[in-house]
Amino acid sequence: MPASNFSIPLDGSIVGIYLLVTMMAGVMVRKYVRRVDHFLVAGREMNLYLGIASLAATEFGIVTCMYTAEGGFTRGFAGAIPGICNAIAMFVVGWTGFCIKPLRDSGVMTIPELFQSRYGPFVRWLSGVVIVLGGLLNMGVFLRVGGQFLVISCGIETRYLEAMMTALLIFVAIYTVLGGMLSVLITDFLQFVVMSAWLIAVTALILYQVGWDGIVTNVQTKLGNGGFNPFLSDELGWEFVVSNLITNTAVVLTWQTVVARLLAAKDTATGRRVYTATAFFFICRWMLPGLWGIAAIGAVTTQTLDALAIQMGEHSGTLFAMPYYLSTIVPAGMMGILIAAMLAADMSTDSSYMLTWGSVIYNDILAPFRKKPWSERTGLLWNRFIVALIGLFLLFWGLWYRLEGNVWEYLQTTGTIYLSSMSILLVAACYWKRANDYGAVAAILIGAALPILALTLNLFVHVNVPGDDGLVRQVGWAKHYVGDAWVNIGTYLLVALAMVIGSLLKPRRGAVSKVRTAS
Amino acid sequence: MWHDKLWEHWFWLGLAAASLLWYSTITVYVSIRGALDIRDMLRRLSREE
Repeated sequence: MPASNFSIPLDGSIVGIYLLVTMMAGVMVRKYVRRVDHFLVAGREMNLYLGIASLAATEFGIVTCMYTAEGGFTRGFAGAIPGICNAIAMFVVGWTGFCIKPLRDSGVMTIPELFQSRYGPFVRWLSGVVIVLGGLLNMGVFLRVGGQFLVISCGIETRYLEAMMTALLIFVAIYTVLGGMLSVLITDFLQFVVMSAWLIAVTALILYQVGWDGIVTNVQTKLGNGGFNPFLSDELGWEFVVSNLITNTAVVLTWQTVVARLLAAKDTATGRRVYTATAFFFICRWMLPGLWGIAAIGAVTTQTLDALAIQMGEHSGTLFAMPYYLSTIVPAGMMGILIAAMLAADMSTDSSYMLTWGSVIYNDILAPFRKKPWSERTGLLWNRFIVALIGLFLLFWGLWYRLEGNVWEYLQTTGTIYLSSMSILLVAACYWKRANDYGAVAAILIGAALPILALTLNLFVHVNVPGDDGLVRQVGWAKHYVGDAWVNIGTYLLVALAMVIGSLLKPRRGAVSKVRTAS
Repeated sequence: MWHDKLWEHWFWLGLAAASLLWYSTITVYVSIRGALDIRDMLRRLSREE
């Protein structure tokens, strides 16, 4: 493992104190959790600024920092295109209230709950299943990537990776299990403050050391004009931009952690303002770590990355360029605060993801099997048990799964398992009177089947491809012959088609109910 | 010239500068107002009790 500027007595103490303060804050609010809606949506008492801090903290974890920096390292500035697409989608949806207004007005706690009123209980249950499947597969790599960041940036031996992952998970699980969404909101707020301050500090340090001139030169030298313009890139092209526009629109409409903030907001107007006010953050979260990745181009060699990939047991080492680079340029003392900030980012993401996927399991997958409603006490116990089980899954999936290629593409493909169908179902539920359960079931099945097929082919069927350096590398079948962007675009198109054809095939019976509102 | 290179990629320069500006201003504002939101939220939840 490379030498790092991380000093165990100095930086380790800073990290320890930070973890203790966060844990105390998270555990202290457990006394306010008396009902299931306190646990899942903070009693719908979240106001605007807490919502902005919480959403920004949730959507920026170590894994985010790693894949956005990887985007900068491998694709230059063009790697930040997903962030721009995300910000545009977030702002437009928040500003117009497209889908999110009827969703929040309905007073539901999860999206599948809304679907029950339009498509029936089976679609609600099936939606819950694909949301959890896609969400957990997506989140499955968070812990491992977080552990890899800590091991590389702190210069710790690789054999401690599993121990780091486990410790990280235990910290997060304790306060999430006890305090639910209330703990998540409070700790998210702390984490937003610490993380934001150090995001600026590290970016300033890098700009001071490398300069804008050096950043531009790195991109020009390694990637040429394609590093500035995705339409000129051989690897990206217009399909990459279109794929990201579609995915990010679906994300802001149906990604459970994003929608959870809308549903926890005290009213619809507050929820919409959280969207518009947070929109630019989605550019920041790609741009700033992207600059760290670009700066690493001139400082980290391919041999170093190959060695790191072998140590970490991964196929590619591009993900590790940024943490390795940071470990060499950030001085002791600052390193401890950087690690604390990154831990903050990771804990807020993990806790929120565990809680929101857990809420779907409780609310939409288990609900149909309840003959009579559970008491608040039993409901709380079940929610805590589910969050703990998700933690266990994350630990085992993180230990077993090896990433195939770029992390962002993995996240996009696993997310598409449910994003494609849920977004189409939501749009249809809100704006298409003819939509019904036939179309919904067809859309969910197609939306889950295609990305799972692509993932399976990438995992088990490989193609030998000669690289620029003359070495032959194994690439997943779907990645090589279809491409991640086309898997994504094709899935959305076929899901929309399935929704339309399925709905039209069902005979009409009287008037179709609109999405009901709580008010 | 160095300043030609600075403005050659004005779009990315503008986005990077705006990102730093967004974080350095919004963070301070959201931190103050967010703390007040937390106080109000916990107060309302206590009252429910």
